[in-house]
Amino acid sequence: MSAKTAHQIDLEAAEWAARMDRGPLAPEQEAGFQAWLDGDARCLGAYGRMRAIALTSERARALGPDFDPASFEPPSRLALDRRRTLQLGGAIAASALIGVTGTWQMLRHRGRFSTGKGETKVVALKDGSVVTLNTASEIQVNYSDSLRSVELVQGEALFDVAKNKSRPFVVSAGDTDVRAVGTSFTVRKLEAAPVQVLVREGVVEVFKPAINAAPVRIAANNMALAPEGESAVIAARPIPAVQVNRQMAWQKGQIAFEGESLAEAAAEFARYSDTRIIIEDQALAREEIAGLFKATDPVGFAQTIAISLNAKARIGEGEVRLAR
Amino acid sequence: MAEVSGVSDERAVWLGRFVLPHELQLRAWLSRRSLGGLEIDDVIQETYTRLFQAESVAHVHDAKSYAFQVAGSVVIDHLRRRKVVSISSMPDLDYLEVVSEEPSPERQVIDRDELTRLAQMIARLPGKIRDVFTLRRVHGLSQREVAARLGLAESTVEKHMARGFLILSEQYGHGGKTLSHPSNPKPVQRPGTTGKQER
Repeated sequence: MSAKTAHQIDLEAAEWAARMDRGPLAPEQEAGFQAWLDGDARCLGAYGRMRAIALTSERARALGPDFDPASFEPPSRLALDRRRTLQLGGAIAASALIGVTGTWQMLRHRGRFSTGKGETKVVALKDGSVVTLNTASEIQVNYSDSLRSVELVQGEALFDVAKNKSRPFVVSAGDTDVRAVGTSFTVRKLEAAPVQVLVREGVVEVFKPAINAAPVRIAANNMALAPEGESAVIAARPIPAVQVNRQMAWQKGQIAFEGESLAEAAAEFARYSDTRIIIEDQALAREEIAGLFKATDPVGFAQTIAISLNAKARIGEGEVRLAR
Repeated sequence: MAEVSGVSDERAVWLGRFVLPHELQLRAWLSRRSLGGLEIDDVIQETYTRLFQAESVAHVHDAKSYAFQVAGSVVIDHLRRRKVVSISSMPDLDYLEVVSEEPSPERQVIDRDELTRLAQMIARLPGKIRDVFTLRRVHGLSQREVAARLGLAESTVEKHMARGFLILSEQYGHGGKTLSHPSNPKPVQRPGTTGKQER
């Protein structure tokens, strides 16, 4: 085995990758390349890795001709320090000395997180709580010393809340608040539907801060619906644990159906993808379906369903049509 | 490119898409294990060699776990090749039982985050290398066209590209964010997470 260091091999691999990037090798260069590869078992891997980087970086085309590298530079030390000092000043004015670290963490306690259609995203928050965003969702995190406040602007999210009795965790969705101490639950806020709260572990309290009514306690394996408006009644009902897990299948990028109509399923898929499922036949739309499907693949779903319902799936631009 | 033995661009694309993004975690994982005197860089290179040599990757549903498994087998084979293996240097058993994960549903998020990451990596390249790299990769000029545009020799453009690939590879391997501690791998995130602040 040659005595080359891994670093030396990486250097040479980068040179070969750059040579390939220039254009096809001349025959005599090919022989040289082959000899280099044969010299050490690690060379192929090192070259393959560089080639992978070279080809992967071609995706930079997607940045477009207006790409300005300067706008992606990491913030300079100076700018960072200035921001830190500003924050620190505010913190000192607001409370007792927390110190630079505390302030810095506080900074990272704030932020807006969102997902596009078909995406999910896991956001780890500084207190150890973890928020998983479902498709087309957005949250705004606002932590303070006494309260961990998260606004669900739209969509759906699963909250795995780290226990901290002295610092409640409150999710606001429209005019409804959900308060937890340490628990795991989802909140869903879709247009033209009541806010839905599903508790997997622990207990949460659902209430409307604008209304002077007692909060409704929701235990594990219960679901609450909170319609918008002052006269709305928050209704809770138990649901089987199996169904709770099914409702959370989206975390794995899946959608679960058990007896929903095909029309309902199509609507559910519309949350995850712009490719629409159009059902041309009313009787077909009422068919009940069951199964676990990949959330971002409405076409695959339609094709599978077409086979089991003896229908035809026609794929068009941005849509898939189901008919008998 | 003419087919030099064992080098397929198709495989390189696959590696770039499914393995490269996990290299940081792979290195962190290796750093917590006994490698019997091997350097992490050596293991990484041999791992890629094997991933290149694998007949087919069509059956691989979870490239990340697969890469971890291959890296584990590189270390085990190395230990077996040695004549004397002391008990303390025997690898952890978990080399062979890497957690199998569901294919990542966050794939698309990763794609978008990766484009941002790529932009940041390009932004961090030093001066001329960045100019060359931007023209070649973002604007899609050939190396010859880049040379003409910037008034450089083609061989210089090639050298800048090589340097650029090397710097990028260091960022993939060690995470560009901790350049002050390049030998200190970052802690492993929750598997498959891409929780990133968008501000």
